[in-house]
Amino acid sequence: MNIGIVDSVKRELRRMVTMPMYLVFMVLCPIGCGLIFMSLLNAGLPLRTPAAVVDLDHSELSRQVIRNLNSNELVDVQYKFESYSDALAYVREGKIFGFFIISRDFEKDALAGKKPTIDLYSNMTYFVPGTFAFKGFKLVAVSTTGGLAAAKLAAVGLTPDQITALSVPVDIDIHGIGNPWTNYSYYLSPSFTFATVALLMMLFTVFSITVEIKHSTSPQWLMTAKGNIAVAVFGKLLPQTILGIIVCFLLEAVMFGFLHFPMNGSLWWMLVATVLFVIATQSFAVMVASILPNPRFALSVVSLIGVLTFSFGGFSFPVEKMYGAIAAFSYIVPIRYWFLIYVNIALNGFDVYFVRFYFVALLIFPYLGMAFLWKLKKACLHPVYIP
Amino acid sequence: MKWFRNTARVFRQEWKVMLTDPGLILFFVALPLMYPIVYTLIYNPEQVRKIEVAVVDDCRSQESRELVRQASASPAFALYGYASNMSEAKDWWAEQKVYAILHIPYDYGKKINQMEQAHATMYTDMSLLLRYRALMSAMSSIQMKLASDITTERIQALGAESLGVGMPVQTVSHFLGDTQQGFASFVIPGIVVLIMQQSLILGVGLLGGTARERRRKNFGYDPLGVNDAGALAQVWGKALAYTIFYIPVAIYILHYVPEFFHLPHYGNPVDYLLLMFPLLLASAFLGQLAVIMIWEREFVFLVVVFTSLIFLFLSGLTWPRYSMSPFWLTIGDFVPATWGIEGFIRINSNAATLAENARCYIALWLQVLVYSFLAAMVWKYMVTKERAKFTSSPATAQ
Repeated sequence: MNIGIVDSVKRELRRMVTMPMYLVFMVLCPIGCGLIFMSLLNAGLPLRTPAAVVDLDHSELSRQVIRNLNSNELVDVQYKFESYSDALAYVREGKIFGFFIISRDFEKDALAGKKPTIDLYSNMTYFVPGTFAFKGFKLVAVSTTGGLAAAKLAAVGLTPDQITALSVPVDIDIHGIGNPWTNYSYYLSPSFTFATVALLMMLFTVFSITVEIKHSTSPQWLMTAKGNIAVAVFGKLLPQTILGIIVCFLLEAVMFGFLHFPMNGSLWWMLVATVLFVIATQSFAVMVASILPNPRFALSVVSLIGVLTFSFGGFSFPVEKMYGAIAAFSYIVPIRYWFLIYVNIALNGFDVYFVRFYFVALLIFPYLGMAFLWKLKKACLHPVYIP
Repeated sequence: MKWFRNTARVFRQEWKVMLTDPGLILFFVALPLMYPIVYTLIYNPEQVRKIEVAVVDDCRSQESRELVRQASASPAFALYGYASNMSEAKDWWAEQKVYAILHIPYDYGKKINQMEQAHATMYTDMSLLLRYRALMSAMSSIQMKLASDITTERIQALGAESLGVGMPVQTVSHFLGDTQQGFASFVIPGIVVLIMQQSLILGVGLLGGTARERRRKNFGYDPLGVNDAGALAQVWGKALAYTIFYIPVAIYILHYVPEFFHLPHYGNPVDYLLLMFPLLLASAFLGQLAVIMIWEREFVFLVVVFTSLIFLFLSGLTWPRYSMSPFWLTIGDFVPATWGIEGFIRINSNAATLAENARCYIALWLQVLVYSFLAAMVWKYMVTKERAKFTSSPATAQ
């Protein structure tokens, strides 16, 4: 029985071969983007934040504090200033992201028990450098004070254990599970890479369908599939599905194999999730192209959604803390489910049982894609192009 | 003189084309008006508060309850419940009911009463660093608070008040720019500049692709264009038309959006508007440069949309530029938004002046120069090729 699947696939393969852009956008762009993200974040942590110190005391003790600051890996003391305003000017020029002020008479007051002040300034307009400058400063300030206190207590004859118990009576240890190094790449690369793949895949799926309508080749496309729109779409997308899956697997091989990203759970389920994610993303794009069978409208919609997923997908700001009406959007895109599966299986090492609903969600998308095909068929039979 | 006349003609002609293209109005008006609002609404909760935490209290003493009370009082912490043991707490975590587990060991209270160092452990989910960051800073301030309470008692018990109680040095932290450390306040001033660049490139690319379609149908001549003007007059006339059209939108984005949402907004408007003028111009030229890849109107989506993510990373907003390799640093230098974001954030959020950001300003003008020449070359190349197709082979065409 010949229902035209083979012919549809053949037709699409011919189009692919004659248009080099197919390979550029389906293979080179996603792999390129993924490699760019991973290469940029390769260091894992941005250490040595450019910083400065304002030493108003110029004593032995203040120099000791500056030495401690220099030995901290989070900050890099590049400048020494004599006033607050000099340091602030460098912040405004972007040369430093924070500075540390040691007050006048610091040593004298510290020895006299008068509680001198250390002021820490961090520029939070850049979140990561600001946070790291703050963290580095705080560590040094705390260890300096701790050291001074310990020296005093030791002078009256307390033992080291007693001193620890006095200066840090309660110690709360924090363990980051799955990523104890707080490696930025483990947390940003997978979500950003696959959200970019989703964006490109949606754009390309929509383009390859609606361009048939634009150039009025859609009746002929439909004829190849013997007038069955489902067969036509399936035949058109199958080569893209296969390419998409290969590209995603390659990216995962780079992440989990080559760069040793954490994979604490089942790699097989992760791969299954990836296959479902590719199909779900294409289905989502088919749905948009069916509802709006015009290249510019449909591409605008998938661009809008694809770009906004980077924000409402909750890859950096948690979805449950967003406004409800906005958080709801995060659940309409397949990448959100892939991300949750990645986090829970690869990073946290949970059993697939705990992410079963996300798999179900990914399985729903193909039905959504099929639901509006009747509309696409109508548009294909009578192609109208609105520029 | 003739050059200026031609540029003005191109400007007028392109202005007409712009106003009649509904796709362009979407990119130049609807998109820049809407996007900043949508983004700010997404990030407007600013801070991650009330993260659900499970407590496993193996000590069940007055001291352990005090620790939990202190933790619950912190804005970052929301007590989900007491789990009877670690494995129950882990199940809660796997079901995503909690994002952290606070474990208090059996000897916690005993150690505090025996004047030893007591320990507690917090295990946190690492899927989002913002949650980790919030919990970590909450825990360290609780640790400090407990330390000062308990140390006071202990020093009194030792009869050593003469030593002076507590820490011998006071530490005061100040946060510049984004004083509340809010996420929207940090990310929006940078994102809006990228939105400006990308919407300009999208619009310019759309018009360029459409013009190419028209030229292909008309023997290499654009019926809606000025065909006898030189290449530089072409690209400058168009770029000025796009930029001037965009200025009211830019004022809305740079001035009114931060005002609406009470984001940091300290800089002098003259400074940041002057900085943004070459950004708009450079983006308009970059868009005309991209037209070489956009042979069909709708192709602009494929070519331009995904680059936003790459430009976002290169700008240093998520990953600081000083930690990039020289290679990526250099690539980033070629993107107008890199300099625009850097300069605008400093002027807008740190109240810097344009003079203090002269580097960004000069870099943007250099880009204007370089991209205008490249765009002119691209225009020349495309048109020559398109016309050659029709003039060189009249015999074969028949």
